[in-house]
Amino acid sequence: MPIIEVDDLSKVFRLNQKEPGLRGAFKALFKPNYTDKVAVDHLSFSVDPGEIVGYIGVNGAGKSTTIKMLTGILAPSGGAVRVLGRDPHSQRVANARDIGVVFGQRTQLWWDLALIESLNLIAKIYEVEPARYKQLLDQFSETLELDELLKVPVRQMSLGQKMRAELAATLIHEPKVVYLDEPTIGLDVMVKERIREFIKQQNREKQTTVILTTHDLGDIEELCQRVIIIDAGKVIYDGPISTIKDRFGKYRTITFETGSASTAGLALPDGTELVANEPRKLVVRFDRTRTTASQVAGALMEQADVVDFSLAEPDLESIIKQIYSGALREEVAV
Amino acid sequence: MRSLRRYWRVYSAFAANAVKLMMAYSVWFWVELLGQIFMLIIFVYFWKAVYANTETVSGMRAAETLNYILIAQIVAPLVRWSLILDIGGAIRQGTVAIEFTRPVDFQARWYVEWTSQMLFQAIRLALPLGAVAMICFGLRLPADPAVWGYFIVSFLLGNAVLFCFDWAFACLAFYTTEAWGLHILREGVAAFFSGALLPLQMLPGWLQKGAAFLPFGQALNAPVSILTGITPVSQAPAVIGTQLIWLVGLFLFSRFFFGVASRKVTVQGG
Ligand SMILES: Nc1ncnc2c1ncn2[C@@H]1O[C@H](COP(=O)(O)OP(=O)(O)OP(=O)(O)O)[C@@H](O)[C@H]1O
Ligand SMILES: [Mg+2]
Repeated sequence: MPIIEVDDLSKVFRLNQKEPGLRGAFKALFKPNYTDKVAVDHLSFSVDPGEIVGYIGVNGAGKSTTIKMLTGILAPSGGAVRVLGRDPHSQRVANARDIGVVFGQRTQLWWDLALIESLNLIAKIYEVEPARYKQLLDQFSETLELDELLKVPVRQMSLGQKMRAELAATLIHEPKVVYLDEPTIGLDVMVKERIREFIKQQNREKQTTVILTTHDLGDIEELCQRVIIIDAGKVIYDGPISTIKDRFGKYRTITFETGSASTAGLALPDGTELVANEPRKLVVRFDRTRTTASQVAGALMEQADVVDFSLAEPDLESIIKQIYSGALREEVAV
Repeated sequence: MRSLRRYWRVYSAFAANAVKLMMAYSVWFWVELLGQIFMLIIFVYFWKAVYANTETVSGMRAAETLNYILIAQIVAPLVRWSLILDIGGAIRQGTVAIEFTRPVDFQARWYVEWTSQMLFQAIRLALPLGAVAMICFGLRLPADPAVWGYFIVSFLLGNAVLFCFDWAFACLAFYTTEAWGLHILREGVAAFFSGALLPLQMLPGWLQKGAAFLPFGQALNAPVSILTGITPVSQAPAVIGTQLIWLVGLFLFSRFFFGVASRKVTVQGG
């Protein structure tokens, strides 16, 4: 039984082209000049409880718009959304009790209040039982390292500190579904790591369902088993990461460490090319459909004095780049 | 019963928070207090000048008018004049998106926050202003507790009326995403017709009739007239009845309009 169901969902923004100034405002009000912008275009997918789904696509693909409809902020222009069996827009308040949202570019904390005061207030709004609240606060303080931050007002926090605070605020009422819209935007590696750990832990311990949009594929690799890729408001891929890797990870690379410096005049198997040839180091890229790692490694070991070698995993970033630049569309066309 | 207690817990948390936020800007309080005292002085001398060569203006005597103006100027800062700007701004900047993810009634929450801030202002600002007015300008206040009771009820009702009116008006920002223009438009009209500058009873008959069709007088002129005795106690229940009718009408309208408008909502930005 899916926890989130999206059925033929669309959102069309009607833009009212307005001239500047008060006169323009009036004119726009009484004599509007509309243009339509399709942000989400007949989307369908469903998510099961406990899944962490990566929701990715290029800038302007319609990710945030989808999240806004899933959270009940925006009303769909067409189609339907069900979250925990409810319509998030018409049953906004009931829905809000069971979900948590992070918009990476906004804050839900009170700008001028110390973090602990914001958290106290949020706990009251969501009616978190005081004993439970205390327990969670301790736990979150530890995993997210909030101790020194609790007394600091949000306006004085750095981006990374703020994001840790946001996550605590979002999960303090133990929502069943969490939407994270770019939760790692602009963060350093350490903070990213901490945040990913935290999300993983919440998901593991409470079966929290997570929908995550990001431009950092590290997030996806660390957290998600499944990705939904959208482009111009349409789903272009929905499935496990491993499948895309198989389908698009056509090329793999092997790095060889060699004993002797000279590696001139190597004969490589078909479908293989030399990417780098440095003293004591060779990087070879091969097409998996035409040869295998063992063939390539074997051929090189015969010709050069190989001390060590390593095979790189297919790299998600280059795969996604291929997909964004149209590989899937071409495939569908063929 | 249980759910009432729940509402109380949630909304009182918002109320306490709203007051806390106000205190975070305590520097501005002193600026505001000085500004209001300054306004008081200007108004007193303006009206003294008006009465220099005449006994009555539109049938009102100097002492009566001055007392009205003093009280109106003390009460006026408690009335919220910027709701349109606040809600419109939230819509414009897209912060309304975050507000919509909280499990609370949007309108109830704003009302609670605003009312708690107003009560806090009543203590922090109106009391010292009242003391200044009493010591320096001979402010006279009624002794009859019934007058005070009617005044407080009328003030709360009138401001709830204004809240609903502004709420409905601010919903236009969902369509135009242009709150500033709406605010300017309303501001001038409201300042005049609220009765902050002069008792509405002084206006020529046709203008008084016009003012009766606007909600602004309900927030200031109606309660202040009760407190100064311009409206006799015997007529106070009628004033309050009128306010109730205003409130029911505007409340229903503002709920309805907000429901329609928020379906159209376009939340700005990423
Ligand atoms: N309030 C709005 N009014 C008009 N158009 C909008 C509005 N919000 C979004 N859009 C348009 O809808 C499209 C999808 O926007 P959306 O914010 O969903 O993209 P996104 O996938 O989240 O992009 P990003 O990765 O840059 O965050 C864009 O073309 C955008 O210009
Ligand atoms: Mg976005």
